[in-house]
Amino acid sequence: MEMSETVGRADREPSSDELLVAGARRGDMRAFERLYRMHSGRVYGLCLRMTRRPDAAEDCVQQTFVRAWRNLASFEGRSSFATWLHRIAVNEVLTQARNRGTRSESDEERVAELDREQDGDAPFDAADVMDVERALQSLPEGARYAMVLQALYGYTHEEVADMLGIAVGTCKAQVHRGRRLLRERLGLPEAET
Amino acid sequence: MNSHRPDALDEALSKLPKSVPTERDLWPRIQAQIEAERPGKDARRGFTPRWYQLAAGVLLVLASSVTTFVIMRDAQERAPAVATTELPRPEIAAMPASFAGYRLGEDYTKARAQLDLEFEQRLALLPPEAREKVERNLADIRAAAREIADTLAEHPTDPLLHELLMSTYQSELQLLAHVTQMAPATTKRVQL
Repeated sequence: MEMSETVGRADREPSSDELLVAGARRGDMRAFERLYRMHSGRVYGLCLRMTRRPDAAEDCVQQTFVRAWRNLASFEGRSSFATWLHRIAVNEVLTQARNRGTRSESDEERVAELDREQDGDAPFDAADVMDVERALQSLPEGARYAMVLQALYGYTHEEVADMLGIAVGTCKAQVHRGRRLLRERLGLPEAET
Repeated sequence: MNSHRPDALDEALSKLPKSVPTERDLWPRIQAQIEAERPGKDARRGFTPRWYQLAAGVLLVLASSVTTFVIMRDAQERAPAVATTELPRPEIAAMPASFAGYRLGEDYTKARAQLDLEFEQRLALLPPEAREKVERNLADIRAAAREIADTLAEHPTDPLLHELLMSTYQSELQLLAHVTQMAPATTKRVQL
């Protein structure tokens, strides 16, 4: 994994994106490939954390960029290209999950498994990046989706709610739940208010 | 954006990389899917809509040449001899003796000017319907030539474009010569 990523909004250099998007709109496949090279890592990271399966995440990335190519004309530049891509990616994850129809079952199984594993002590080490990753993956679907988008990729509750097609209040509740579960599993104290 | 104050959880989450490289390069699959959905799967081999336009233009040139031949043959069979004095000037203007930067010799330029003149004279003798068809065919050929020349300006080293351009140019000359050959004995033939 790349460890040199900056924290914050998933925005990239706008001018570079704008030039490449303009080129891709004219049918320049090389410009679009450059956009893919610049953004695919973040899109994959987002999809992988939402789907928890590399093969499913790869399918989502592929379909995200294919759909982005098809709909380049509709990209108005009101948000960054990265945000636009992430919206497509989230939609792709949700569509894929609906088509598979097994997400709730697998989530429940995973949560039950974690509950069995958790015998008083936190099963994950907050100082270990891989453990934090695993703890995030152990969250129930709704909380995980909201946490990935809000806490990891920095989108607002409103943006996350819009992406996931849920109410803002629901999003806040899912984030709250996700944070509480993560604290428990990582053995972290409650945040000071 | 995030309204939570930084704490141990936020600190732990901030260490997670936002970007995760895929295990394999997905671009070939993406490109293949995009190409498969594009109109004209040959686009990946460099055949753009412009090439199809050019190809259509060349076909039009061939069709125009054949049509002109048939028109002229029919006109020759039907039309009675017409006096060649006081010929009205046709509406179309002959193309200058240059072509997309090709430098043409002085002999050629003179022969071409003579051919253009004789073509215009001969064209004026044709029945209106036949004249209109010849003019239209000539316009089609010249439009195709301009299209090829424009593309050649963008791809000056493309050998196929050079060949197409010369072929179209020859078609134009053949059309001019074909019409002119039906003129009285004063007509001179131009070697193409």
